[in-house]
This record gives sequence, C-alpha cells and structure tokens, in this order.
Amino acid sequence: MPRHVAVIMDGNARWARRSAGHEAGVKSLRELTKLCSEWGIGVLTVFAFSSDNWVRPKAEVELLMGLFERVIQMELENFMREGVQVCMIGDSLNLPKSLQKLFADAEEMTKNNSRLQLIAAVSYSGKHGIVQACRTIACKVKDSHLELEDFGERLIERELETSCSEFPCPDLLIRTSGELRLSNFMLWQLAYTELFFVRALWPDFGKAEFIEALLSYQQRQRRYGARVS
Amino acid sequence: MGSTNKMRGPNCWTARVGSFGLQLIWHFIHFIISTCYFVLGLADAVDSYVISSGLLKKYNDLNLGKLRYLAIGVDSDEARQTSKVIKLLQWLSDIGMKHVCLYDEEGVLKKSKDAILEKLSHVRLFEETDEKLPLDKKNMNLELASPSDGKEAVAKAANLLFTKHLELKSATEDQGENVFTEANMSEALRALGCSGPEPDLLLVYGPARCHLGFPPWRLRYTEIVHMGPLKSMKHGSLMKAIYKFTLVHQNYGK
Repeated sequence: MPRHVAVIMDGNARWARRSAGHEAGVKSLRELTKLCSEWGIGVLTVFAFSSDNWVRPKAEVELLMGLFERVIQMELENFMREGVQVCMIGDSLNLPKSLQKLFADAEEMTKNNSRLQLIAAVSYSGKHGIVQACRTIACKVKDSHLELEDFGERLIERELETSCSEFPCPDLLIRTSGELRLSNFMLWQLAYTELFFVRALWPDFGKAEFIEALLSYQQRQRRYGARVS
Repeated sequence: MGSTNKMRGPNCWTARVGSFGLQLIWHFIHFIISTCYFVLGLADAVDSYVISSGLLKKYNDLNLGKLRYLAIGVDSDEARQTSKVIKLLQWLSDIGMKHVCLYDEEGVLKKSKDAILEKLSHVRLFEETDEKLPLDKKNMNLELASPSDGKEAVAKAANLLFTKHLELKSATEDQGENVFTEANMSEALRALGCSGPEPDLLLVYGPARCHLGFPPWRLRYTEIVHMGPLKSMKHGSLMKAIYKFTLVHQNYGK
C-alpha cells in the first residue's frame, strides 16, 4: 500500500453547477478519508483550493470558503473519533479570518491523532511553497537559528510545508476528471510519485475507482532513480 | 491447559488457511489486471499501426500551434539506447516539432550529446542556436536537461537570492519577502542558464509512470503522458499523444 496518497479533486463544477458539485465532492472526500484510514494509508493530501483559483467569480470563491468552514465544523468530531490528524498547507493569509481560526483550532485539537494524517492544500501553489521554504531558511540564518554556507536540496525539502508529515513525498497521485497535469501542485515533492489520471469527475470517484488506482500503483515497477540490481 | 492447546490448534490452522486464501485471491486479482493490461497493450499496438499507416486522416496533418515546446523524459537505463533516442527525435522532426527538451534523471542524454547530434544534422543544441537562423520544417532546437537543471538549479538560485538578502539585511529590516519571490527565483534561474520554457507537453518513456524529477520550476501546467518503455516506442502512439494534446483546453485555475 502507498504510505502517502495525494489527490487533485478536479471536476466538481463540471459535475453540477452552483454548490451541488462541490457538496457532492465533499462526500467523495469523506469516503476516501475513511478508506485510507481503514486500509492503513498513513497520509492523505488533498488539493482543495489552488492559489490560481482566487481569480474565479467572487460568489464561487465565497461559496467554497463557506463550504470549507462547514466541513471542518461538521467533521471535527469524526476526526477525533477516527484518529485523523488535520494539517493545512498553503498561504493561509489570503483566507477569511474565521477559516484561518477554524483550521488552526482543528490542527491543535487533532495534533495527537495518529491513524491518518489529512493534509488540506488550500490557497496552495507549488512554486510559492518552494519560495516560502527558501525564505524561511534565510530568516532562520538571519536570526542565527541556523548556520548556513549553502542552500541545498535537502535543506529546502526540510523547510517545505509538507515536512509536517513523516512521509512528505506522495507515493501515488490521483487526479480526477481526465486532466493530465499537476496544476502547480507539490511540484518539488512529486518527482518520483506514481501518477494516476482517471476520467471520472471527483464526485463520482469512489471505492471502485480508488481500488483501481491502488491496483495500478502496485502493478507498476517503481524506482526512485536508483537502478534495480 | 490441554483444552486450550486443542482450541489453539484449529484456530491457528484456520488463520493459516484464511491467510493463504487471501493471498491466492490477491494474486488472482493481479493476474486478471495483468491480463487486462496485456490486452490493452495489444489493442494499442494495432491502433498505433493503423495511425502510422496514414489511414486515419486526422493524424496526418497535426496542428502544432498549441505545442510550442515538447519535453521528453526518458528513464536513464533506457536513455542509454541512443539509437532509440535518435529515432524518436527523427520522428519528432518529421512531424514538424521545432523545440524539444530531452531529459533523464542521471544526465545520460547530456553525455550522449555528440552521438545524437552526429546522426541528426538538422538538430541544433538550444544554446548554440543562432536566432537569425530560420527554423524551417527540418530544423529543430534541442535542449538536453538533467537534475542539475532542476532541483539543483533551484538550490543554486536560492543561494543567489540569499546573497542578495544578506546584502539587504544590513540596510533594511527586510524579512525576505521582497527578495524571495517567484519572479526573482525565475530571474535567478535565468542568470544560471537554467530557465528553459515550461513545456506544453511532457512525454515520459520508462517503466514508472512518474515525471522522473523533471525540473519542478517548469512543470506547473505541463500535460504529462506516460508512453511506456522506450524499447517499445511506436510512431503511432507518439502521433496519438500529440494529437490528443492538441484537443486539450486548459482553464489555468479559473
């Protein structure tokens, strides 16, 4: 089984206009979280909202922010019961203050949960994440918390937001709705991740489709750039 | 005590049989999946033959307007098959591709540069291209990339920015926000000579369905298609992948 599964949840708006598509998408996410938890997958990262999505119509953005708030409030009790640890990655400063607080509270309340780590990428950009890691390193050196001669790949990797996880690099990436690109998601972390692109729209992605993705992952020969001897 | 041992015996046996049964089911499922992939592979081979034969008109005249920059990622073991790489580049040249980036994760293709260029006289290395030279249908710009152009380059670019940040440190209270920006990172990569364009399409040849560590700064909206092993590459599959790309519509997050 993969230790870390990442998902680009694409296709809600194509599934149904207005809020129905996004509401249906929440059900898919709920089911996937449950399956990951039951099947021993340690980390699930979901691409909920890209930094590029801020250009969408204001009404849709407000609807999505409201939906995120409702989902966190509704599911928090579930997360505590099921042992799900919630983490958020992305530029939270752009989010409404109420949502920032909800995420912070959810992270604090669930920080000791260990069955599944659910990482929500909200207002997230892969490029911005890399730049942010470099900025963090520079500040640490400036404040003398870090002795530094040179930036290196490993140092940057350690400061990426995904270092909140024991397994920061996904083993398997699933993107729904038939699109074949990363869309600025975890650009650094996905170097050797198995890519599974599926035609189903996100609200139609269920147990059968997840099993297909896992079977496909297990079928493939995987190498991390080292030769198989 | 004796009755406990007697109970353990059947339970242990049941557990073993159950475990064996589950393993059998698991292997059977994978056998079915492998058979499906084999059948799909056969269908793909037939499809590729039909496309290559020119019977399907839509593949004969590809509209390459949207495909300005194509990247090919090759598994390093397979990249050692230089003749296959040359054949692939020849196909791309015949289709009319003008800008191609070849990448592998060990720099094998960079080492094979001379062997590749020797066989393809109409191909020019990216940095050697004379911009005044008109790119007609036969000429192609070729960039060879490796991890030194990817994560390593980002780390070097970060070092450049860090030096600038230290210079500002004494002058202002800047916390890095004005120095560490995406625009400045792109500029630093350009200064290092590692700032090729973002490919529109990345075709990956190799056993693993991943992008092999292609430079992350250039992959934001790149379409990624896994083509299978290089040794099994087919002209028809290449045409089909490029044709499908020409039909794609991107929203860029909107």
